[in-house]
Amino acid sequence: MPSRPRDETIVLGIESTAHTFGVGIVSDNPPYILADVRRKWEPRSGGILPREVAEYFSKVAGEAVEEALGSAGLSIKEISAIAVSLGPGMGPALRVGATVARALALKHGKPLVPVNHAVAHIEVARWSTGLRDPVALYVAGGNTTVVSFVDRRYRVFGETLDIALGNLLDTFAREAGIAPPYIVSGQHAVDVCAEGGEFIEGIPYVVKGQDVSFSGILTASLKLLKRGARLRDVCYTLREVAFSSVVEVTERCVAHTGKKQVTLTGGVAANKLLNSKMEAMASLQDAVYKPVDVRLSGDNGVMIAVTGLAAFRSGVTVEPEKAFIRQKWRIDEVDIPWYPWMPGLG
Amino acid sequence: MVSVDAWIGLNLEELPLIKRGAESEIRRGRFLGVDAVYKIRVRKPYMHPRLAESLARARTKREAKIIAAARRGGVSAPALLAVFPSLAVLIMEYVEGRLLKDEVDRLGGGLRPVINKAGETLGRLHRLGIVHGDPTTSNYILSRGVPVLIDYGLSEFSESIEDRAVDLHLFRRAASSTHASIADSLYKWYVEGYLSEMGLEGERVVNRAEEVRLRGRYVRERKKTVWG
Repeated sequence: MPSRPRDETIVLGIESTAHTFGVGIVSDNPPYILADVRRKWEPRSGGILPREVAEYFSKVAGEAVEEALGSAGLSIKEISAIAVSLGPGMGPALRVGATVARALALKHGKPLVPVNHAVAHIEVARWSTGLRDPVALYVAGGNTTVVSFVDRRYRVFGETLDIALGNLLDTFAREAGIAPPYIVSGQHAVDVCAEGGEFIEGIPYVVKGQDVSFSGILTASLKLLKRGARLRDVCYTLREVAFSSVVEVTERCVAHTGKKQVTLTGGVAANKLLNSKMEAMASLQDAVYKPVDVRLSGDNGVMIAVTGLAAFRSGVTVEPEKAFIRQKWRIDEVDIPWYPWMPGLG
Repeated sequence: MVSVDAWIGLNLEELPLIKRGAESEIRRGRFLGVDAVYKIRVRKPYMHPRLAESLARARTKREAKIIAAARRGGVSAPALLAVFPSLAVLIMEYVEGRLLKDEVDRLGGGLRPVINKAGETLGRLHRLGIVHGDPTTSNYILSRGVPVLIDYGLSEFSESIEDRAVDLHLFRRAASSTHASIADSLYKWYVEGYLSEMGLEGERVVNRAEEVRLRGRYVRERKKTVWG
C-alpha cells in the first residue's frame, strides 16, 4: 500500500437513518472512496419496523466498522474524524449510529462531525457528478424535495404536501400485491409491472405551485384496480403522472433560479424513466443533467463521510455529549459553509 | 383544426419572444390594435402526449376563466383579450413594468407599501373564491407603482382555507429562497396587506399557513419504506 500524504484528511462516516447501516471511509486524496460497507435490513412483509431495524443495526454495527477499516487497510488511528448522520430519520435507527459514532470519537479522541442525511444526499450528488451548483431533485422513500443552494443553505423550492414518491410506489405495490420484494434486479415492482401498459384516464395530476401531492394518485390508482382496470395500465399511468409532476416542479425551480445544472439523488434516483424525463426537462431548459452515481444513490456511509469531510475542513464539529439525534432535522436549517467546495472538485 | 396563426392572421413564431418559462412561451405582439402578449402553453415533451395535451388544454381554459373573474372582481390583473383552448393560446393586454422580484432591492423605503399592496391583491383574489397557486415576487409586475398579479396558470377556484394558506406559504417560501436576507419582513408586509383585505377570515388563513410550513417538512409522521 502506497504511503499516504501527510496532510491527508480521512473521514469515517456512519449512516443509520432508515433501512441501511452504512460505514464509509473517504479521503480528500484519490481514490477518495476507501471503504463502502452496507448492512441492509429487509422486511419479510410490509414496510419498515423501526425497533426491528434498530435491533438489527446493533448486531451489525461493530462488524461493519471493522470491515470498513479492514477493506481500507487503515487503523482507526489514521482516521481524522468521525462523521455521523444525526437526522432526519427514524429515532431507534438513528440512535444506533449516533451511539457508535460517539463511542468511536470518545474512545479514540477523534473529532465528531454532525451530518444531515438530506444534505449528504445532495452533496454526494454534487461530488459524483461534478456539478458544482445544481438544482437537485431528492427522491426517496421518505423524501420528495426540490432544493437549491441560496445564501448559505439549501433552500426548499418544492416538496410533497403529503407522502413521498418512494412511499407512493412502495405502498401501491404492497396494496396491489406485487411487493415485497420492492426492488428486483434494480427495478421497482411498479416499473416491472408497467411493461406493456397504456395510458388511461382517472389518475389525478396534482401540482400546486412548486409542490406535488401523491395521496390522491394512490387512492385513485387503488380504486381503478378495484374497478377492474388492468394492473399494467394502472402501474404505467401512476408512474407517468407521478414522475411527470416531480419533474415539472423541478423544472419550475430551474426556471425560477436560472441555474443551468440539474441533478437527481436519493433512493429513487436510479429509476430509468425518471432519469429520461429529467434529461428531457433539462435540455428544454438548456441545463446540464447528471444524476448521482447510481452506486451512491441509496443510503450509504460514503455520502456521510464525504459530507463530513467537507464540513470538518470548514471546522464543523460537535461535542460527543451534545451530538443528539434529530428525527425531523430539516435540510434548510443547515449552514453549508464549504459550498461549493468538494474533495477533488475544488 | 384551424391554426391560431390562420385565425388571427399572423405567425406566432415570428412574434418576439419575451420569455420562455417552464409553462409557456410569452410573445409580444398586437391584437385588435392593442399592445398584447401571447401566452402559448408548452406541451411538456417529457410527458406522455395524452397527459401533456390534456394538461395544456385544461390549464388554458381554466386560466382564461380565472383571469376574467379576477378582473371583474377588481384584482390588478392583465385584461384577457382572447382564448384558444384547443391550441393552448391565451392573448392578454401587455402590462408595462418590471418584475417585482427585480425591483425588491431597488425600492428601499418604498418596498413596504408595494408588498402591502401585493398582499392586498392576493386577499382580493381569495375573496373572489380564487387561489393563485404561485404568488411569488416573480409573478408580480410593478406597473406604475402598482403590483399587477400575473400568471394564473396554476390558479383554481377554491375557497378552502388550506388552498389559501398554501398561497401564503408559497409566497413566504419563494421569498426565503429568492430574497433570503429580508424574507421575514417581506412576508410580514405581505400578510399585513392580505389581512387588510381579508379581515378576520384572513387570520385563520395565516395561522393555517404556519401549519402548512411545519407540515411540509418532515413534521408530519410518515410511514418509512424500504427506500428510506
